[in-house]
This record gives sequence, structure tokens and C-alpha cells, in this order.
Amino acid sequence: MSRLVVLLIVALAPVVMRDTYWRSVLVVCALNVMLALGLDFVLGYAGQLNLGQAAFYGIGAYASTLLVTRLGFNFWPSLAVGTLAAGMAGVALALFAVRLRGHYLAIASLGFAVITYQVLLQWISLTQGPLGIYAIPPPPPLAVPGLPAIDFANPARMFYLVAAFAFLAYLVLDALVRSPIGETLAAIREDEVSAAALGINTPAWKAFAFGVGSAVAGMAGAFYASFIGTLVPDAFFMTESFTVLAMVIVGGLGTLVGPVAGAVLLTVLPEALRGVGDLRLIVYGVSLTLVVLFVPGGLVGTVRALRAAA
Amino acid sequence: MTAPLFRADTLAKRFGGVQAVQAISFEIAERAIFAIIGPNGAGKSTLLNLLNGIIAPDAGSVWFGNVELTGLAAFRRARLGLGRTFQRIRLFRHLTVLDNVLAGFHVHHRIPAWQHVVHGGAYRRDRARFRDEAGELLAFVGLGDRAGAVAGALPYGEQRMLELARALATRPRLLMADEPAAGLNAAEVERLVERLARLRERGLTLIVVEHNMDLVMNLADRVLVMDHGERLFEGTPGEVQRNPTVIAAYLGERAS
Amino acid sequence: MPDVLTVVLQQTINGMVLGSLYVLVALGLTLIYGVLVQINFAHADIVTLGAFAAYFFTHRLGGHYVLGIAAALLVGAVLGWLINRVVFVPLRRRGSELLPLIATIGVSILMENASLAAFGPIPYAFESPYSGQVIRLGRIFITLQHLLVIAVAGVAIGLLYAFIRYTVHGKALRAVAQDVETAGLMGINPNRLIMLTFVIGSGLAGLSGALLGPVLVLTPFAGASVIVKAFAIVIIGGFGNMEGTILAGLLVGLIEAFTTQFMNPGLIDIAVFALLLATLAIRPTGLIAERREENV
Repeated sequence: MSRLVVLLIVALAPVVMRDTYWRSVLVVCALNVMLALGLDFVLGYAGQLNLGQAAFYGIGAYASTLLVTRLGFNFWPSLAVGTLAAGMAGVALALFAVRLRGHYLAIASLGFAVITYQVLLQWISLTQGPLGIYAIPPPPPLAVPGLPAIDFANPARMFYLVAAFAFLAYLVLDALVRSPIGETLAAIREDEVSAAALGINTPAWKAFAFGVGSAVAGMAGAFYASFIGTLVPDAFFMTESFTVLAMVIVGGLGTLVGPVAGAVLLTVLPEALRGVGDLRLIVYGVSLTLVVLFVPGGLVGTVRALRAAA
Repeated sequence: MTAPLFRADTLAKRFGGVQAVQAISFEIAERAIFAIIGPNGAGKSTLLNLLNGIIAPDAGSVWFGNVELTGLAAFRRARLGLGRTFQRIRLFRHLTVLDNVLAGFHVHHRIPAWQHVVHGGAYRRDRARFRDEAGELLAFVGLGDRAGAVAGALPYGEQRMLELARALATRPRLLMADEPAAGLNAAEVERLVERLARLRERGLTLIVVEHNMDLVMNLADRVLVMDHGERLFEGTPGEVQRNPTVIAAYLGERAS
Repeated sequence: MPDVLTVVLQQTINGMVLGSLYVLVALGLTLIYGVLVQINFAHADIVTLGAFAAYFFTHRLGGHYVLGIAAALLVGAVLGWLINRVVFVPLRRRGSELLPLIATIGVSILMENASLAAFGPIPYAFESPYSGQVIRLGRIFITLQHLLVIAVAGVAIGLLYAFIRYTVHGKALRAVAQDVETAGLMGINPNRLIMLTFVIGSGLAGLSGALLGPVLVLTPFAGASVIVKAFAIVIIGGFGNMEGTILAGLLVGLIEAFTTQFMNPGLIDIAVFALLLATLAIRPTGLIAERREENV
């Protein structure tokens, strides 16, 4: 039921918002939804604080773009490779930090984000460093038999495309967290020693969670590059990890609706406040702190509490 | 006598300057109840941690049937059939009672990987089956009507029972219970003794670390008495009660 | 053309100067971790605000630089008190491992961007009266600022060390670091000690801001560039381990100086974090291992 309402809102949003700028904001919303969903799978379900989401986003963006611009690949296989590359980087980081948990893993993932950012910046022969990669083509027109080809140079259609993949990511993650895998991840989140005593291979499952969460971020990255058309390392600075974290926390940790709501709110709200000055990051900082301190369940928790009270 | 199900050979563990466990050896026959007693700080919990692989020994080995466990990670030992409960209760506090037990079935799910994403017939059969089985386990430990409660909100005694049910969900051949009666009232202890006896009847082998002497003397086939990380004595409950060293070092101290 | 030996000596000195500043920042983090097992992510922004406090004190109010350092220390201490009071104290009751870290990430974003709004992105020319005074030892140059940094850092570290080893408070601090429950039984009020640790650790961060100001480019982002290294240092040194932190801080300073001289400054972060990841993979407990087994 509520899924239908969401689908209706998604379908109508670009119709209501005819302005190109706001339609671009919609695309960014959908990208942020993917990033937040991916992070929440790792943080909210497996209980591991991943501060490297920006790096996986960047890996997906650069891997797919380089395939398109350097090797002349079609967008779709490049999207698959970018998703896979980010996922594998996530697995590699988790396996590398196999004995780590809690704060150590958080700092290790932050370190991974710092290294990735610097590599993107310094490996000029591959990434063109701070100059960036320009003129990245949008996804090629989709030919549907019997209909005119769908051209993604238009932000409204790009929004439908990205939103469709965000919805796909939601469905996959929702199925995973309701399956026995969800119980396994929850066990690791709650108590790793007990989880191991139940036969759970905790390093492997943490790597799995990291892999899935980073793959979703990598997919967002591939769409981001083909939407924006230019790629510079600054888009994947560690601050980006923190903004995604704010979306997850504000929306509601450990639920899938929460990150969706948080991503939409924290993308749209700063844009709406643009007239007041560049408040984007201040909004993120304030909302992140206040929600952790005073609204433990985030938006979703508040709505549930209100419903329970009513 | 048949070959032992479980065997520890000269296990040793040192923490900093303290020899927590020193040259401990024992054998446990299948379907036996093996109790480990000793004063606080005698190294009993450390010994259990060595047995189930949470910590690695400095020396010695552990065998489960013909399989050497030494060096295997805790999760691998659990898969071989070693179950465990903890002295300081380690439930998944924020999950429901039912979800705690369901998590215990981790190694027993038989769902094709893709059905975790697209839930099909095999998935639904698996879910139904383990929900039923969890219900039976909860009924066995007396929590049949608490499935929906949050584990951390249960009274202490029920938390101990839930931990037992969760450990049983892994379908262990050997269950290690670390002070299962601690904090239970007399009626609860009585029911616990009954349940442990029934588990043995069903073919389970048990290692029980316990302070409650009534429980130990009623239930155990063999008792290992530890003090300062060392083996003080091993024998039947009757022998333990008559042994002068044990009486002096442990029972005497408790009586005074 | 300076010979290799001169360059190596010069960079060793530069590295030690930088390293001792990193040590000051990292010690604050590690002290707090020692008693609270929590990370204050906004520690970086205390460094930044300490630097700005010293800048405004000296350049706008015309105060002496040495007093500016004291002002920065005070600002840092107050900010530390505030962050503990507002974030860590309420969250301690909820008993979550990761929430305080997440909340201070929010505080950090807020402080950084509020500073940006207040001070703007254009670098401030923070001049220390000692930066221009150069002592020549053969072909090696040392500024008085360098000497001041080493002296102040050395004294601060020495006092801290003495405080922790020899005073009643310091001993209580170590007791709390070992075991909060037992410390409570010994009649120690852990809350007051945690507050004290926050004030001292954050004061050190403010102080290092004042010393870093003339060395770094002073912008609202100054602290952020230091903090990622400080995190690396506390992990390389072993969380809560003072000696390890000092060693790791100097090591990172040297890595930075030599990478800048012989390679490319852009590789500093890569080198430091490669060291961090290597440490985590090989010795998760840090350079100087201090084994703590989990009691289950």
C-alpha cells in the first residue's frame, strides 16, 4: 500500500516539477536514496560504521566512466562493472579489517576513503586528477519495441531511470533483511561473540554486508557520472560519507524506509533553503547531532511512536 | 569404556602475569554430564573460552571425537556441534525472544542463495519449519508464551533460559553451560535440572560450570575441581565430596 | 646544492616539529579514549577554533603570541567541556558504542561550517613573532617557532605524563581506564574524571591549534587535515596508549616531512593511511601492544 503511494509520488514528481533545476534535484534525491540504503545495510543491519561510503561511490563512478570514455564500453555493462568494482572494494576492505570492529573499523573505513580520494586526485594519467573527466555521455537511449526510444539526456527520464534502480535496490535489500540473512546480520550487530558461538562466520558476513552496501553505492556512482557529465575527485571527499550518514540517522537507522525518507528530506530541504545562503552542510551537522541526541528512532521512529500513541 | 566424545589435553593460558589455566586435561564420554567447579577466579570461564575457541591456548590441545579443535575459530567449533551459553548473559538484547532463537538456526538453513532475494517456496518452507522448531525450543525452556517479547526486557531467569534455547537451536552434540543456575530461584533451578537431565536423555553431552552444589551433585557424572587455574581433583560427585583436598580448599571455604 | 645529509637532517627536524604537534592533538584523543572508550570526532574543530582564538587574540586584540597560546588552550578546554556535557554525558546512559561517534561527526560538520560562515574560506595570515627568527646550525635552519613548538609540546607532554603517573587524579584516571566499575567501587567519581580528561585533552587540542596556526594554512578546514592524521596516529600507536601515540605521532611527522621533500605532498595521506591499514592488519593493538582480553 505505502509502496504504491511512493511509486505514485515518484511517477508524478517530475510532472509537478517542470523546472530543470528541480528535476535535477530529484535525480540527486534518487542517487542519495541508493547511497543511504547501502550505508544503512552495513550500519543499521550489520551494525558496522562504514565511513567510506564516499569512496565506494567514487569507485563506481570512476570505474564505469573510464570504461565508457577510455575503452568505449556501452553504459550498461559499465554500470555492472562499476557496481561490482565498488562491491569488491567493500569486501576487500572488510576482509582486510577482518579483526576490527566498532571504532577501529570506522577509522579504517575513513582511512580507506582518504586514500581513495587521494588516489583519484594523484593518479592523473588515469583520472586526470583535479581537472576531472568531462563530457561523459548519458546512458544510451533505450529502445523499446513499438515505442519511441527513451532518451536519458532529459533529467525527468534520467530521474525515472535512477529511481527505478533505487527501487530495485530497495526491494533486494528488503528481501535480504527479512530473510535468515537479516537474522544473521542482526546477531553480529548485537553481539559478535554470541554470533560466533552460534556458528556464524562473522568476518565473512561483515564482508558480505560491506560488499552489498558498497555495490549499491557504486551503482549510484555510475548513474551520478552519466547524469552530471563531469567527474572530479572532490565529489567523493569524505564529507560525502558524512552527509549520507546524516540521511540514514535522520531517517531512522535499521529500517529501509528511514534512509529513503532521510535522503529525500536532506536533499530537498537544503535546496529549499538555498535563498538563505549555503546552509547545506550546517543543516546536515545540526540534524545529525540533534537526531542522535533527542530522536533516537529518527523520522521513522517518530512516526511509529505517534501511530502507537494515536 | 568407549572412546571419549571430548578431550582436553594439558591446556594452558596466561594473561599478563596470571596463569589463568594451567595444564588442564580431561575426557568426557558421550552423553555424560561433566561439571566444572571451583572458587571465583579459578579459571573456569577461561577454560570454557579455550574449549569453544573464543581465546587461543598458549599450550595444549582440544579434541572433539577424532577432530582436533585447537586453532579452529569459535564459529567452526559451533558448526561441528559445540554449543555454548555465557556466564554474563549475552543475548541479542534488542531482538525479540523468537528472533534470538531463529538466529541460532544460522547453520541449518537450506535455502538456495537466490531465494534470499526472491523469496520462493523453499524459502517459505524453511521459514515455517524453523518458526515451528523455535516454538518447540521456547516451549521446552518454558518461554512458549514470550516469543514476541524483547529479550533484554525479560526477567533474569528467563534470559538464562532463552540463552539455553538459542544454544540448542544450533543442535549441538556438546553443550557448554556457564553457570546456568546463577541468579535463578529454587523453583527455577529445579526446572533447569529437569531440563538438563532431559537433554542428556536426548543424547546431548553437557559441560556445566556451576556454583550450585546441589545441581552439580544431583546431575553430574564427573566433576572437575579447579583452583588457581589448576586441576585440584577430578572424580565422581561422591568422590569430590569425600576428598579432603577439595573440602579444605573449596567446600570448606564455602561452609565457613 | 645542499648535500643529502643536510636535507635529511633538516627534514628530520621539520618532521619532529610537525610530529610533536600531531602528538599533542592525538594525545587528547587517546586520553579520552582511555577513560571513555569513545572518539570525539569534533576534536579536529577544537584545533581549528584554538588556532582562530589565538589568531584573533594576537592579530585583532594585539595580545602577545604566548598569551594567545594560553587563550587557545582555554578555548579548547571550554569546548571540550561543552561537547562532553552536551553529547557524551547524555549518550552514556544509552550505552551505545557508535552513537557518540556519530553525534560528534554531526558536531564536527556543524563547527566546521559555522566557522566557514563566520570566518570565510580565505586563508588567514597567522604570523608568529618567532617564525622569522632563524637559527643557523651549519647548513640547517631552525626557526624560533620550531623551537617553541618543540618546547611547548615537550613541556605539555611531560606535565601530562607526570600528572598521570604521580598525582591522585592521574592514578584515578588510570583506574577508570582499566575498569569503570572497579573505579567506582574505589570511591572514584568516573563522571568527574571523564570531564577532567575532556578538558585536558581538548585544551591540548586548542593549544596545538595555536602552535599549528602559523605552520599550516589557517582556514576553517585546518583541523580536518590534521585530524585524519591524528586518528591514524592513535590507531598506529594503540588507542589509549600514551607511549605508542608519541612514537606514532613523531613517525607520522617524519613521514610527512620526507614525503614532501623526496616525493609528492599529495602522497602524504596515502603513506600515512597505508601505514595505518598495515598496522591494523598486522598489529591491531598498535605499535606497543597492550593486550586486553575480553572477559566473557
